[in-house]
Amino acid sequence: MIELIENCISKFGEGYVEMRGHSRKVFSVTVKDGQVERITRGLNRGVCSRILIDGSWGFSSTTIINKQNLLRLLKDADSLAKSSKPVKKRSVKIAPVKPHIDKYETSMKRDPRKEELEILVEDVLEADNEAHGYSKNVVSTSISLSVIDDELYFVNSEGARIRQRIVRCFGGASVIAKSNGKIASAYESIGGQTGLEIFEETPIREAALEAAKRAVRIVPKRVVPGGYYNVVLENRIVGLLAHEAVGHTAEADLVYGGSFLSNKVGRKIASEMITLVDDGLLPSGFGTMKYDDEGTPTGRTVIIDKGVVKGFMHSRETASQFGVAPTGNARAWSFEFDPIIRMRNTYIEHGDWTLEELIEDVKEGYFLRGGGGGQADFNGEFMFTIQEAVKIENGELKESYRGAAISGNAFEVLNKVKGVGKDFAMRVGICGKEQPNYVGIGGPSLNTELLVGGS
Amino acid sequence: MIGLIEAAECAVKECERLGADEAEGFTQKQRTVEIVLERGEIQNERTKTQQGIGIRVIKDKKLGFAFASTLNQQVVKETCRDAFKLAGVSPENPDWVSLPPPRKIPPVPEGLYDDELASLTPDEVLGMVIGGYEAVKGVDPRVSIDDGKLSIFSTEVAISNSHGISLEGKGTAASFFLVCVAKEGGETSSFAYEYEVSRTLRGFSTEKVGELAAKKALMSLGARRVEPFRGEVLLSPDVAAEVLFGPVVSSVNADNVQRGRSLWADMIGENVSNRNLTVSDDGLLPYGLGSSPFDAEGVPSQKTLLIDNGILRNFLYDSYTANKADTESTGNATRNSYSSLPAISISNLLIEPGTKSFDDLVSEIDRGIIINRFSGSVRVESGEFSGVAKQASYVENGEVKFPLKETMISGNAFDSLRKIVEIGRDRRATMTSVYTPPILVKDINIVSK
Repeated sequence: MIELIENCISKFGEGYVEMRGHSRKVFSVTVKDGQVERITRGLNRGVCSRILIDGSWGFSSTTIINKQNLLRLLKDADSLAKSSKPVKKRSVKIAPVKPHIDKYETSMKRDPRKEELEILVEDVLEADNEAHGYSKNVVSTSISLSVIDDELYFVNSEGARIRQRIVRCFGGASVIAKSNGKIASAYESIGGQTGLEIFEETPIREAALEAAKRAVRIVPKRVVPGGYYNVVLENRIVGLLAHEAVGHTAEADLVYGGSFLSNKVGRKIASEMITLVDDGLLPSGFGTMKYDDEGTPTGRTVIIDKGVVKGFMHSRETASQFGVAPTGNARAWSFEFDPIIRMRNTYIEHGDWTLEELIEDVKEGYFLRGGGGGQADFNGEFMFTIQEAVKIENGELKESYRGAAISGNAFEVLNKVKGVGKDFAMRVGICGKEQPNYVGIGGPSLNTELLVGGS
Repeated sequence: MIGLIEAAECAVKECERLGADEAEGFTQKQRTVEIVLERGEIQNERTKTQQGIGIRVIKDKKLGFAFASTLNQQVVKETCRDAFKLAGVSPENPDWVSLPPPRKIPPVPEGLYDDELASLTPDEVLGMVIGGYEAVKGVDPRVSIDDGKLSIFSTEVAISNSHGISLEGKGTAASFFLVCVAKEGGETSSFAYEYEVSRTLRGFSTEKVGELAAKKALMSLGARRVEPFRGEVLLSPDVAAEVLFGPVVSSVNADNVQRGRSLWADMIGENVSNRNLTVSDDGLLPYGLGSSPFDAEGVPSQKTLLIDNGILRNFLYDSYTANKADTESTGNATRNSYSSLPAISISNLLIEPGTKSFDDLVSEIDRGIIINRFSGSVRVESGEFSGVAKQASYVENGEVKFPLKETMISGNAFDSLRKIVEIGRDRRATMTSVYTPPILVKDINIVSK
């Protein structure tokens, strides 16, 4: 495909032109309650072109890949750029990036292309069996494994030619328990940017059992009482805080729009125990790529260093606006989308407290466990779901409650941090910002304060 | 390159040749024009053309599925081989009966395809966005647009299966949303969301969306906190659709019923809500967002009564769950795209409106809040909801007192369905195809700092 794209781009003269080719191979198995619900193989292929003429972008994509159609695609993008020019307030410029000619491939011990993926069905059936076998109160499960094998081609009119192959293996287990007319659900996930070895290192069976245990544990319980509390946030939730509530406010397009961090470079906005990073090269990170979808090499971008704001995440466009170097954060979900500023692997660095010490420090509050989804506005106000809340009294864990939503302003929450754990963990995530994308999120457990929206 | 129905039929023949007991080809072609607004600027304009095929194969009660985004004979045949191979490794499903046989398809409801909408040029679409943008600016200079998007879709589908189903359909849709924020003296309002979604251009106004979004943002300036209390909550159509009807949609889904995931599994004929609540699913609603003469398996669409004055009457089925329960499919199989298998979903969920206007509902509140946007989670199986009340106001003695900040609500939808005080008059089509008026419920826990 890359030869065809190079051939087309060389025939197009005006402005900055880029074309991306994308081929996504999907394999996935879902088992529900002992039955294979779906076993799927698929292939999506497409090409897009993005053109910058006179400070105006145009974008067009297609799944019909032949020379005639790709030339039409370039024309479409070109005419969109020209026709929308008069209504755009700002004339776009892009920061320089050395055109790279390079290849990258996910580091893998077991390449999914060299194996029969059908054997994964056994792993999922076994996990399902384990979850159902844990208790008679487990009434329903849904367990899946997926392998997504992406091939990305990037070519631009400045001479960049980049091929990347990115393989992601991941899975999830959702378990429903029922008892005395009450129902509760729990969810656990595994995965990373790796080959099939991840399914041996972190078996889906263990995630399924973990979810089954939690669902059964909380089904007879009440929802946690609502209120403002001193809490310990489990490491699996802290990644959400790093990504959703803080990370987005450091995306340069949102900074430009007036996000919480917009005028705070060099200022202290969190406890000095907090260092927050977005890393494009984290080994096995779900959002790791050597080059972003504008052909910029990625790297480690420090957002907050010991409580002080250091910098933002940039595309070529925002880097030019801000007068800084691009950080390799321009990413696109597929050939159907233009690259926008996205995080890669976002985490809070670990501290030196043990989980026990974090809990001992709470006089009255909750240990909040099990991550769910979340949302945040760019002023730092967030809302996340947690699966379970364990009461803490005088530093000791007491009874469990069903989880609820938690909310607060991320920067207040990070200012009130009293302790940062040693127990660093990364999770896989899918973030939605106009278009979805795979991201890594992580951090250690934290002792802080926030609002719990309970009963 | 071959046409949609030819590709679907070619897939069925190829799978049968490979030795399949049954097969189904579903093909789809979609053209999209999208304009993205970010930070008050036209960020991007996209045109997308997408097509593909999804192939279901059954051999000895074992199911395989494969998809591809290329529609030529060679790729279709390769995809058939993939699906057939997967069926070979899949364990037998003893509950499998068969793909649906052909049934009489009702006439196409009015208003599902709009020639004018399908033939909009990117320039015209851009003009519509600018209309919405100008409307925001026209309301008040303190308001700015955070983001927004206008999408215009034109979709064609075809379905063929080995029992003789062979159907083609087409549809159009337009959706526009804006998120606005108002700023005054260092204060930033909560983010106000407004939208419009429609199958045709009839009544579709981006200007109206801009005006409403800007007004909502202004209304939330000067927000204050209240002490925690338990009181009445007036849910806007969007919030009612998510918080109250999300659990309803999950509980009437026959797959959830059969898997023990629905608390309503044994409650047909029993009371599940306030007597004034009547809910149906109507796949044939004229101009309906989820309307189509047939579903994603080629089964005719219909109107199904779900809750009749508080009494649970029916569940929603696709052909698999209907066969399992020895009943007929209600035509509720849907697919997100050619790359996914059919699953049960609502078409258009219709909540019968009451008689009172929004203002009348507000005047009936002793002490409570109005909530226009909900940022939180709803556990659809258990009904628990908990989240932040955005674009919310405090009401006392029937009067709106002030906008709220840092306020959360929590409760259980199944309890709240029984504690409906009043159902409003003015029904609205929400983004999720739930058509509901605003609904006043009592006894909700309101949490704050």
